[in-house]
Amino acid sequence: MSGAGSSRVGRSGPVAWMVLPALAMFILFGVVPLVGVLALSFTQWDGLGPISAAGLSNWRTVLTDPALPHSVLVTFEIMILSWAVQTPMSLLLGTFLAGRQRYRAFLAVLYFIPLLLSSAAIAITYKALLDPNFGLGPGLHLGFLTQDWLGKSNLAIGVVIFIVSWQFIPFHSLIYQGGVRQIPTTMYEAASIDGAGRMRQFFSITVPQLKYTIITSSTLMVVGSLTFFDLIFVLTAGGPGDATRVLALDMYKRGFMSNQMGPASVIAVFLVLLGLALALLLRRLGGSTTASQQEGA
Amino acid sequence: MASDLSTATSSTSTATRPARSGPVRAHKLLQLNWLGGMAGWLWLAIVLIPLYWIVVTSFKDQSAYFTQNPFALPSAPTMTNYKLVIESDFPRYFLNSVIVTAGTIIPAVGISFMAAYAIIRGAGSRFLAGVNGLFLMGLAIPLQATIIPVYLLIIKMHLYDSLLALILPSIAFSIPLSVLVLTNFIRDVPKELFESMRVDGATEWGMMRTLAFPLTRPALVTVSIYNGLAVWNGFLLPLILTQSPDKRTLPLALWTFQGQYSVNVPAVLASVVLTTLPIVILYAVSRRQLLSGLTAGFSR
Amino acid sequence: MTTSIPSPPHQPRSSRRNFLGLVGGGALAAGLAACGSSGPKSTPGSTAGAAAGTGSTYWFLTGQPQQAIREAQVKRFNDANSGSKFKTTEFQNDAFKAKIKTAIGAGQGPTLIWGWGGGGLKAYVDAGQVEDLTDFFGQNATLKDSIFPSAFGAATVSGKVYAMAVETVTPIVLFYDKRAFEKIGAEPPQSWGDIMDLVPKFNDKGIAPFSLGGQSRWTNMMWLEFLFDRIGGSEVFQNIFEGKANGWSDPSALKALDEMQKLIKANGFIKGFSSITADSNADQALLYTGKAAMMLHGAWTYGNMKSSGKDFVTGGHLGYMNFPPVDGGKGDPSDTVGNPGQYLSISSKAGQADKDNAKKFLANNTLDDASVDAWVKSGNISVAKSSKDRLSSITDKNDSEWLNFVYDTSANAKTFAQSWDQALSPTQAETLLDNIAKLFQLSISPQQFADSMNAVIGQ
Repeated sequence: MSGAGSSRVGRSGPVAWMVLPALAMFILFGVVPLVGVLALSFTQWDGLGPISAAGLSNWRTVLTDPALPHSVLVTFEIMILSWAVQTPMSLLLGTFLAGRQRYRAFLAVLYFIPLLLSSAAIAITYKALLDPNFGLGPGLHLGFLTQDWLGKSNLAIGVVIFIVSWQFIPFHSLIYQGGVRQIPTTMYEAASIDGAGRMRQFFSITVPQLKYTIITSSTLMVVGSLTFFDLIFVLTAGGPGDATRVLALDMYKRGFMSNQMGPASVIAVFLVLLGLALALLLRRLGGSTTASQQEGA
Repeated sequence: MASDLSTATSSTSTATRPARSGPVRAHKLLQLNWLGGMAGWLWLAIVLIPLYWIVVTSFKDQSAYFTQNPFALPSAPTMTNYKLVIESDFPRYFLNSVIVTAGTIIPAVGISFMAAYAIIRGAGSRFLAGVNGLFLMGLAIPLQATIIPVYLLIIKMHLYDSLLALILPSIAFSIPLSVLVLTNFIRDVPKELFESMRVDGATEWGMMRTLAFPLTRPALVTVSIYNGLAVWNGFLLPLILTQSPDKRTLPLALWTFQGQYSVNVPAVLASVVLTTLPIVILYAVSRRQLLSGLTAGFSR
Repeated sequence: MTTSIPSPPHQPRSSRRNFLGLVGGGALAAGLAACGSSGPKSTPGSTAGAAAGTGSTYWFLTGQPQQAIREAQVKRFNDANSGSKFKTTEFQNDAFKAKIKTAIGAGQGPTLIWGWGGGGLKAYVDAGQVEDLTDFFGQNATLKDSIFPSAFGAATVSGKVYAMAVETVTPIVLFYDKRAFEKIGAEPPQSWGDIMDLVPKFNDKGIAPFSLGGQSRWTNMMWLEFLFDRIGGSEVFQNIFEGKANGWSDPSALKALDEMQKLIKANGFIKGFSSITADSNADQALLYTGKAAMMLHGAWTYGNMKSSGKDFVTGGHLGYMNFPPVDGGKGDPSDTVGNPGQYLSISSKAGQADKDNAKKFLANNTLDDASVDAWVKSGNISVAKSSKDRLSSITDKNDSEWLNFVYDTSANAKTFAQSWDQALSPTQAETLLDNIAKLFQLSISPQQFADSMNAVIGQ
């Protein structure tokens, strides 16, 4: 019923009911299937025939499979690196675009387009552009762009990170744009008066003021990358070998391509737990305090 | 200078005085921006090259595609690819995508907002804390794993091969992240504001609508775009949960040009161009509103 | 979904009902009952669920010219059988694989199931999802005899026939550019040794010896299929297929893997081959633009090379041959590998009327004259022996030579082995493709390859 009671919160009326629609939808299409998946992880099923119980054998197989730590490693590698590339880039771009010159508005429209393309389209495009004989390198006569992009492990990971960034930086820079516009000019003016230079202002004012924007944007990036699948599937299918075989891809391959729904479900549960852990971590970082974040000016 | 009103009302702070005229703020930002400017132009090149390639190739014939430099303008430009796309029912796919996306985002963001509001406002309740935790757990539910149980559910509900089959699970999957982001924002609305409205006799529902909603606009916009894009580009749900060609969404439209052994790349690209163009126009036209939505602050 | 699924013999316990019980748990019962009243928003005549008697359905792949030919077949059937028409739905390759599996698994599969036979078909058979067609062929002996015998291999599981071979026979062929050979003044290779000798000669002239779309992996696999056969005979893979323990450690197998890596190390393949995709036809383009001298690929590529390659085919520059023998190898040089056909099965869950419909379709419309004509016209040999008769009427000299070559290769092959990733079970196939990628990247040794594959033999 009502959540009131703590003086910290102040008096509030009955609010619990507002949570019900979301709760209902989530339970129906989120929790129930998840329970189904959990159940599947204890079975043996090839997706076609009857389901038979398998106890803990799937769990044992998967958790002792050396491919699992590798997938986890790849997932985190891509997650962290794409965060590291996207955040500064989006920050810079967002600041740049927050200006009010008219041409910047035009640029902003162009920047946004990658975001609107579907992952399949992007993957097809880049597969063609990265072809060592008919792609970017030979086309622009730029030797350094003619590499075995999708054939060497570290290059492939780099390519994935680049493409993800290409697709999503527009989105995050949009968020940062909004954030930057809200920083009061008074702070900058005061800093100038105190003699702070451009760089100093950027790092001492802009960045701290964007703290919550950074956290929101980072949360979206990190959580999004956990279940990242479409692009990598079409682009590399986890290759070369298993260099880009992130957890979600590993799961799909086991389930839909190797016909082993049991082990695939184990990985799914694993992903959920991982996501939960990350979410709790992010919540800690985001501060569960109710304090406001603007320092007095 | 800092008054009560200036304490943060949304996650990023707002100007206390009405924004000093544009040029002043722009001037300040411009000074900071030489690095940003460089990044901007470099990024522009990086963005434009693939886009240019997409457009240019869409006018090439499939058979001529490899015999020219990939960046050269087509020696014999052709509209065949575009004709192919238009003849293959793509307006319907587009419409379906729009229906599914709008039909997902509006309810999803709406109910997530209500839930986030409840969670923050009712912060002492164990029930609500539990619900919050439940949503957190849903953050990383991989669609590929739950797709089969969802599929069976949809069949049982007699919704298979309908657009609703796409909308309902999409709503559910949007909730965890939306709630996470929205709770963060609502948390920043000062209690004093609520209390003063309470004193004036406002109900929680009323406060949510008139107070929290405008202040949380940036987060609502962010979450809408993020989820909207995920649904728009979503491939697995339409694949598994629909079947008839007239229920298909855009990501599936690319199939028409993908055979067992090979892909008609120029035709696929023509399809991409045609389906992206309307949205680009939409974005160009509504960018102002979008940005102002992202910068909503208490002073407005 | 009200049909109960009978468990095939020897399968333990739980059935799908239990699973649904899990998923549609108690708390949902009420909610679902309410939702159940909203009907499917589908067009009239569509089959939103393939439960008994709701109509005959047929799912197949997109892509021309195959799609048009299939649609024409269905049209001919529907025109002749207006009371019981087939409804078709097309899907892209990967999407088809995901979709058909999910649908069949949930009892929503189509009446006519298109597929590649082999391990995938076996999975259906083990799950009791497809009809046994042995009697059907027994009763339709003329139909059976009209098909290449080698095509039945991939349709047979445990001695019974579960699918009918339809559509085309596409062996893997060694294509080459005659002009490239003229440039170095050499003859096309007659043996593996010749191939290794030619490699440095081409490289010196700046021509890649072999084109390869390595990113697609199954393209790499074609090489191994031939090497295994030429070196150790068709028994090597046959043992693996039958699940004999340590089949991959056969000395011939290891030798084949070793030779493969030798070719790679000698720069036998175009640089950056692991980034080249086959599905964009980039590998074929390398051949017809003169960047590569030879290419091992499926017969289906002829059509594209002809239309995209300017005068490469029409000017007579395209050469082709069966894969050469390996000196000292045990394999019969007439053996070939590839796709001995595409296969249609009938869902065992379909209603009797639909099954009969499907049988009629198979008997009358898949290998009728119109179909065979269409396949041959599209540049392919159909699985019907009667394709031979069509060949004499082809006017284009290049096409005629080509199609005769394909026919002869397929008809005369002592063994026509199915592509490994189709023949093996999906579990093995996935592991295989992954290991092949690593082998070609030189990141694992033949022994490691064999060990990884032995671990999943028979699964």
